[in-house]
Amino acid sequence: MRLLQKTNRAYFLVSVTAFVIAGTVIYFVLSFIFDDQLNEKLMADIENVKLMIGKSGNLQNYYPFIESREVHGQSARSYKNIDTLVFDLAEKENISYRQISLVTTINGKKFFIAARDTLLEKSDLLATIAIVITSVFLLLLISMYFINRKLSLNIWKPFYKTLDELKEFSHDKPDFRLSSGSRLEEFTELNNSLEKLTQKVISDYQSLKRFTEDASHEIQTPLSVIQSKMETLMQHPDLKKDQADLINSAYVYTIRISKLTQTLLLLTKIANDQFPERRAVNFSDLLDEKINLYDDHIIGKSLIINKIIEPDCILETNFFLAESLIINLLGNAVKHSNSEGIIHIRLKKNNFEILNTGKPLSAPASKLFDRFYKTDKSSDSYGLGLAIVKEICNLNKWEIKYEYEEGLHKVIVKF
Amino acid sequence: MKILIIEDEKELVGAIKGFLESEGYLCETAGTYFKAEDCLSAFNYDIIILDLTLPGGNGIDLIKLIKSRNKQAGLLIVSAKNSLDDKIRGLDMGADDYITKPFHLAELNSRIKSLERRRYFDGANELIFNEIKIDIDSNEVYINGTIVDLTKKEYEILVFFVVNRNRVISRESIAEHVWGDNISIADNYDFIYSHIKNLRKKIELKNGRNYLHNIYGIGYKFSER
Repeated sequence: MRLLQKTNRAYFLVSVTAFVIAGTVIYFVLSFIFDDQLNEKLMADIENVKLMIGKSGNLQNYYPFIESREVHGQSARSYKNIDTLVFDLAEKENISYRQISLVTTINGKKFFIAARDTLLEKSDLLATIAIVITSVFLLLLISMYFINRKLSLNIWKPFYKTLDELKEFSHDKPDFRLSSGSRLEEFTELNNSLEKLTQKVISDYQSLKRFTEDASHEIQTPLSVIQSKMETLMQHPDLKKDQADLINSAYVYTIRISKLTQTLLLLTKIANDQFPERRAVNFSDLLDEKINLYDDHIIGKSLIINKIIEPDCILETNFFLAESLIINLLGNAVKHSNSEGIIHIRLKKNNFEILNTGKPLSAPASKLFDRFYKTDKSSDSYGLGLAIVKEICNLNKWEIKYEYEEGLHKVIVKF
Repeated sequence: MKILIIEDEKELVGAIKGFLESEGYLCETAGTYFKAEDCLSAFNYDIIILDLTLPGGNGIDLIKLIKSRNKQAGLLIVSAKNSLDDKIRGLDMGADDYITKPFHLAELNSRIKSLERRRYFDGANELIFNEIKIDIDSNEVYINGTIVDLTKKEYEILVFFVVNRNRVISRESIAEHVWGDNISIADNYDFIYSHIKNLRKKIELKNGRNYLHNIYGIGYKFSER
């Protein structure tokens, strides 16, 4: 729920409650006053009728408001107050009336005197009150809504701006700045804190990247030395089998570390955008060339390669990265397809698809492009190939997608 | 052949120097930019191996110096992996070839031999080992004078062996030589094995001797034994 919505809802609830309470109170107060006045008026009418009967001896009748008649056999009684239905001659229907009556003795005779008045006025009054209150309420609500909206929007504008800017934040944008524009202390404070936070994130990320790069770089030289020394040691003429085995396994693992650090270095360099040279790369030719690199694997696994490559797809990109992308995707397809499987390679002007048959992934596909993601923990690979592909796509603003359907792993790159 | 190794890592220089001297080259070394400048102004070299990441100055600047002082020298650049811009700049400025660190000594040897052939044996670009003759320009292999039909990879492996004759060559360096360094090596062991098996068969078919020896689990050695 948005902030504005929330405040508006609260305002609405409070006003509804207030108006319901106020309406009820006004109703009872007015109703009491009305009753009181009506009763007083009717009693005054009765007094007048009594006086007139006393003076003239004539009965007073003015239907349905005043009624007086002589009664016999009834004892005198005081005022009696009832609400009753009376047939109205004009309206030709029964209408609610308030009636006050008494039996009294005037000049030795007993008279029944009643004074009535319609209660219609009371219901009219209440209806009016309801209408007035409701319209005032609605008017207030609407104006409140608009004032509130305008005010809130103005007040919260810098907040939403900051929010929008934060959405654009990425740890690899070293020149990220929040534009401050609010005179409200809270927002200025918020922006300052956020700025400090983002700067910290950026500088941490930068130093992490620098560390990875420096570490990988520094590791390479000792590895070169170890590798060349071992190659020299291998030349020893009197090498025994067990010695050779020891040298070989140390050698193989040295190369493994070396490849790993090279790959990490490559990842960091791509993320750092350290491949500035861009030129027109003939992706079609490059793809064809790299497929040949795998012919041993293809024959070895009895794979069927089904390629539809549109000739002369030219991309403006870094040659080395384009090569890296192709090798990683092809290598993956070859490696993960079942033997006697099929690999489909399709290249169009702005679309590159590579599909291979194989078992479904054992881990969630969303992690496929993560670093060190491996479906097979015992596998010799580092699980960095697809992370590199993803970084290359990010750098070139290409879109990459993975899908699995009908036994086919499908990787799509949209240029 | 006189080679100048410009490289700051002493241990690495030692390994390279030892290796090249065993191949019959005369080697000098320079560990800093200034030492390299000194050597280049005082002597002539046939081949120069230059590491671009040198303390005291950028290796790229040394290329200019080499080109002005030692014009005839073959220049092999060593650079860190993935530094493609350095490679391109180096080659644009007149380097003859490049190799990335860390490299296999056998690969370095193969590059130097190829450089040497291109520079100093104009015309006869051939490799000969007893009855085996390889014509590098036409990619043809002859045994006892008859042509042998080899696949591209078999041919590359054979050339690599002949250049690095009498040395133990690891499977890793063969794989990297044939497939480049982007493809996982472990995957390629079986393929190396089958290429070498086929190579042996084809050589034997032409009555060539078997010079390819297995060296335990490490790799192979191409020698008369």
